[in-house]
Amino acid sequence: MLKGHLDMIVLAALSAGPAHGYAVIEEIKRRSAGAFDLPEGTIYPVLHRLEDAGLLAGRWVTADSGRRRRVYSITKRGKRELDERRAVWEQFSDAIGSLFRGSRPWQNPA
Amino acid sequence: MAEPGVISEYVARLAGELDFDPALSRAVRREVEDHLWEAVSADPTGDRLEAERRAVRDFGDPHAIAAQFAVVSLAKRARRVGFAAILVIVAVFIAMKTRLTWYAVMECATDQGGPLSEIVLSIDRYAFWLSALVGIAGWMYIDSRGIPAAFTPEYRTQLRRFAIVCSAAAGALLASVISDGVLTSLRLVGTRWSLDMLIPLVSMAIEVVCAGGLVVSIRGMAQRTASVGRAARMGPDAI
Repeated sequence: MLKGHLDMIVLAALSAGPAHGYAVIEEIKRRSAGAFDLPEGTIYPVLHRLEDAGLLAGRWVTADSGRRRRVYSITKRGKRELDERRAVWEQFSDAIGSLFRGSRPWQNPA
Repeated sequence: MAEPGVISEYVARLAGELDFDPALSRAVRREVEDHLWEAVSADPTGDRLEAERRAVRDFGDPHAIAAQFAVVSLAKRARRVGFAAILVIVAVFIAMKTRLTWYAVMECATDQGGPLSEIVLSIDRYAFWLSALVGIAGWMYIDSRGIPAAFTPEYRTQLRRFAIVCSAAAGALLASVISDGVLTSLRLVGTRWSLDMLIPLVSMAIEVVCAGGLVVSIRGMAQRTASVGRAARMGPDAI
């Protein structure tokens, strides 16, 4: 379930502002209240793939610790992609919500 | 100074798993190392060794992570091959035009070789324009495909199609280069060595190197596709 939406989750986490991989994971955990506790390493191939697709832009910076760090930010194309995916998701979520709200306990006609 | 320990061993293992793409391996190693030390410094327990172990455990299996990176690397490589095919075709075209311009400047006769020359010239023209059209089609095809999260059967089919198209373009280009070689030989055979021969010979060498380089890069991509495909069949991905 999560695998199919990982791109959208990462784009949503980065929509708040530029961040490095560790901060992206922390943001995902925070916003999902710990529900999306992914193996952390799986985020990095996603970040690289989204960067290659032009949805993210990455740059190396030097952190306060002195370590080199790659910081990602969402591009205009990435924002458009996120908006499109969000619209599709909300439509889907509303439809499923309506389906559940309209359900009735099964009754035996006999 | 690199600190020996759990994290160093882990990033070395991950970098080793990514050795099929040295530039990616170096970049990922640095990025992951920063992540793991960040996780250690955020660990509330204060037990450094345990924090390192936890950071590595939470990061996941390096083999599974490398398998996901392999797909990204392969997609980039395929795009590079598509772009390289266009560059090679342009380079061969420039080399051909330079040689023909040189012949015109040197006022060489154009009908050397007789009917054989005419036939080879036709093969050369058709083969070159065929390679250009097929090469452009291949580049547009691979550039319009997205990069999948995993090595899916659909993506394998797309790469196979691309490899076939690229091979067709390279085959046509080779036919054109061989024809150029025959035409150049017909012009130069029996001619006494002079510096005037330098431009035709150098331009022919450029054509041969370009076409050979394209064949090697297509072959490399096909081998890498097969290798990633085998790895994908052997184990499921991480999530």
